[in-house]
Amino acid sequence: MRLAGLLLLALAAGLGLRLGWGEPLGAALFRLDPGLLNMAQAGIQRRLAPWLWDDVLLPVLEQPSWLVPAVLGALLLLAAALRRRRA
Amino acid sequence: MLIRITRGWEIPDRLATPEALVFGRRAVLGGTALGLATGIAGPARAAEPLSLPPAMRNTRYAPGRAVTPEREVTSYNNFYEFGSHKGIARAAQRLPQRPWTVKVDGLVDHPREFGIEDLLREMPLEERVYRLRCVEAWSMVVPWTGFPLSALLDRVAPQSGAKYVRFETAAIPGVMPGLRQSWYPWPYIEGCTIEEAAHELSFLVVGAYGKPLPPQNGGPIRIHQPWKYGFKAGKSLVRVSLVAERPKSFWETVQPSEYGFWANVNPAVPHPRWSQATERVLGTGELVPTQLFNGYGEFVAGLYAGLENERLWA
Repeated sequence: MRLAGLLLLALAAGLGLRLGWGEPLGAALFRLDPGLLNMAQAGIQRRLAPWLWDDVLLPVLEQPSWLVPAVLGALLLLAAALRRRRA
Repeated sequence: MLIRITRGWEIPDRLATPEALVFGRRAVLGGTALGLATGIAGPARAAEPLSLPPAMRNTRYAPGRAVTPEREVTSYNNFYEFGSHKGIARAAQRLPQRPWTVKVDGLVDHPREFGIEDLLREMPLEERVYRLRCVEAWSMVVPWTGFPLSALLDRVAPQSGAKYVRFETAAIPGVMPGLRQSWYPWPYIEGCTIEEAAHELSFLVVGAYGKPLPPQNGGPIRIHQPWKYGFKAGKSLVRVSLVAERPKSFWETVQPSEYGFWANVNPAVPHPRWSQATERVLGTGELVPTQLFNGYGEFVAGLYAGLENERLWA
């Protein structure tokens, strides 16, 4: 768990350095594969629920690309630390 | 001598509420409520209920199919600025329809910005019942009210260097949630050649079913070229530019492997992810064979003579 957290933090730093600290995750994914998000949006809004895209996924995609792995990495490190203390 | 004594509830004709206001009352109330709910400038909407001048049906373009029920056409929509699902009609009501202007510029002798009311007053309005074939393999038949695109182009006098027409649609961030996806190349751009634009079938639409064009269908003004897939028909147009270079459209930028510049309907050329051989007719659920150029080949096939090397069908 600790290793995964560290890897995610490293990924966040790499994304920030490579793509810039302000580029939204959506923009990075669009650069990687221009059709990916369109297909994902169509699938989610048509088959599941429009709000799932608008209110849940889009806010995440609007965040800087490094932020999501950074938050996940920090959470994993925190969980690992708590587990170690309990043990 | 007759002396008429009026009763308390009787009022003279001159004080009667004008007919247009009475019949527009629901729209006025609706507009006010919408304005209050959304924060959009309501007074202009509420003060003037939208109306559409009467237009004679042009029978030259018989659709060969029954007209699709209005409720189907106004509740099953593609308008990417509002989402990728079909139920965007409610969200699209937030798109203010007045005031609205369309700038016509570029390689023209007389660039001009037209108010939508000027267009309704000045252009030769008619009704045409056209088929619309969506690239997603469904179709509908709609009585559109509008005027030939060529009539608009005549007003601005295109120059000889104008080879293409570029259509730009509205992009209003507070109103259109899709614009939050800043990585897309907003505004939505579409285009065609000057020959296609001047063709008699190219139609600027301002109404449907005898009423002003609803926002979810691209109101107050959209383009429709019925021999092309529907995504070529830019909705809620704000600018028409005559240009020398071929414009790169929104979908051509986002998914060039699936969507191109020409996008003429052809049942023999499948979309990369599905067949185009048949189409589901809205309102009936019936599957019918798709026709080359959506059945308008006798009108438009000549436009593409000598262009066989182009990617005409995507």
